[in-house]
Amino acid sequence: MSDTTTPTQQRHTDVDLATRYDIERFLYLEAELLDDQKFEDWLELFDDDIHYWLPTRTTRTVRERDLEIAGPDGAAFFDDDKAFLTGRVRRLASGRSWSEEPPSRTRRLITNIRPTRLESGEFEVRVNFHVLRSRAERHHDTFFGERTDLLRRIPQEPGFHIARRRIVLDTTTLLAPSISIFL
Amino acid sequence: MFDVNELVQPEQGLINPSIYTDPEVYQAELERVFARSWLFLAHDTQIPKPGSFVQTYMAEDPVLVVRQRDGSVRAFLNQCRHRGMRICRADEGVARAFTCTYHGWGYNLAGELVNVPMQDRAYHDEIDKAAWGPTQVPRLHNHRGFVFGTWDESAPSFEDYLGDMLWYFDALADRYDAGLTLVPGATKWVIDCNWKFAAEQFASDMYHVPSSHASALVALIEDPAILAEFQQQSTAAPGRQYAGNGHGSGFGLRPDMVPTQAGPDFDAWVVANREQIYRRIGEQRALAVNGHNTVFPNFSWLTINNTMRVWHPRGPGQIEVWSWTYLPKDADERAKRAVRTSTIRTFSAAGVFETDDGENWTEIQQVLRGHQARRTTFNAQMGLGHERRGTDSMPGRVTDDMYTEMAARGMYRRWADLMSGLSWPEITERDKARQEREPEAHRA
Repeated sequence: MSDTTTPTQQRHTDVDLATRYDIERFLYLEAELLDDQKFEDWLELFDDDIHYWLPTRTTRTVRERDLEIAGPDGAAFFDDDKAFLTGRVRRLASGRSWSEEPPSRTRRLITNIRPTRLESGEFEVRVNFHVLRSRAERHHDTFFGERTDLLRRIPQEPGFHIARRRIVLDTTTLLAPSISIFL
Repeated sequence: MFDVNELVQPEQGLINPSIYTDPEVYQAELERVFARSWLFLAHDTQIPKPGSFVQTYMAEDPVLVVRQRDGSVRAFLNQCRHRGMRICRADEGVARAFTCTYHGWGYNLAGELVNVPMQDRAYHDEIDKAAWGPTQVPRLHNHRGFVFGTWDESAPSFEDYLGDMLWYFDALADRYDAGLTLVPGATKWVIDCNWKFAAEQFASDMYHVPSSHASALVALIEDPAILAEFQQQSTAAPGRQYAGNGHGSGFGLRPDMVPTQAGPDFDAWVVANREQIYRRIGEQRALAVNGHNTVFPNFSWLTINNTMRVWHPRGPGQIEVWSWTYLPKDADERAKRAVRTSTIRTFSAAGVFETDDGENWTEIQQVLRGHQARRTTFNAQMGLGHERRGTDSMPGRVTDDMYTEMAARGMYRRWADLMSGLSWPEITERDKARQEREPEAHRA
């Protein structure tokens, strides 16, 4: 596992407008695939060494604020590699995944997109997200926070692979019965 | 008013579901069940050094659990005695003292009131600080690093409260020479369901696995043929269930400790430490006691899945799940990583097993909004009258199958006894009499 499970220490430089456009287009495409429940297509967006990670968070005093988000050895909601993400998608397609059968209806709002270029030629992209989920008759959940992605250019459409994803929710106690969707 | 003995008849396996919805029942549970039982507070490794604290809950009551300078543990209500403000507002950390933010009353690590601002001018030096500290949890017990507490001075000792369940708990707590440690941080989430659905399932319910979790193994195993074989084998495996004092433990009997649920890196560690585990808890227990468990009322774990949790009640229709992953303290980093990731992937709020349970319990609670639904009797009769003892001399009441609801009936029996307001000696006496009335073949 590379150390990019946390935001990278490499030097960041601004990206040009064309690159910014490509990255925004890519992220909106990703959100659309998830909202449209095209999970197998969504999997194709990830590089083989993907680390998909959602650490837990605790309420801390200002003095201990640096301990607020759990580290790589701490508790997490997601800590997946490509094989397990693939397993989750296989499960969703099984017809017996009761927390998504019948499926949730989701709406992903991806905003405040902040791409930077790294010395390695990869891109680090921080975004704010607000994901709304409606389930069954009247169940409703909302997930909000920040994502930090590591993107790699690929020659073919849609132009990038996601190589790392770190998701940080702004909630400590999750006010939902599950995260049976992807963030 | 409700009549507990009309609502549940555990010996007949009958449950009136208003016990999951009635606000009056819930308020009585806080007083008669949660304030009288031993509740899990914290594990030693959460509070490693002097001043380390965690805030947890005893049912709905916020409680600070604090490591003292002499290494002992104190626990007290996180409530200032002046106007009831929360004394400490962080989930965990290291503190030298606690100061209420409202008017500034200050407390030391033991929870003693040591500073009252303007004590001379405002209180004329007449306040007796020793009398106005936060309410202390009067009884604490540290069992192999697991700290439990009870408000009830008359409750049995922790060992008597657990009874034979101690043997099943020690399959986890006493498993390794170096003991257990927790992955840092609790995973916390909210499910809109009554706490008893969760506690009962972990006490008594192996039966839900093939249906509820039908898709979980699909995520873990790619090859359909291997998947089908695995499912067939795990459903057909012989199993046992223990019930006593409201607690429950159920498990399939396995020929070996490996494969574990955590993959080859942890398997290798278990194989290398097999003799250690056998020496500590015996080969029979190491192989058998690997399944679901609840210590009444709301502390549960899945031995082989390395997950434990408290179901904190939040009104009749909601719980907060606080869950932790446990590890052998001296395992190598690869083994620890294997356990951590496998447990997160299966039994966190995003875990491929866990999400199904929340879905079931939420739907049940929704249905119980209905008047007719709330008066429709539930069936908890699985295995009733077939509670034959296993032949393998495990302690306590043990049936020779894991597909039974004996432990659920035992849980509701203990629940009803407490809710009836019986004293602890009366409860112990009645339990004994009930056991003596059972057919010889069923007796412990």
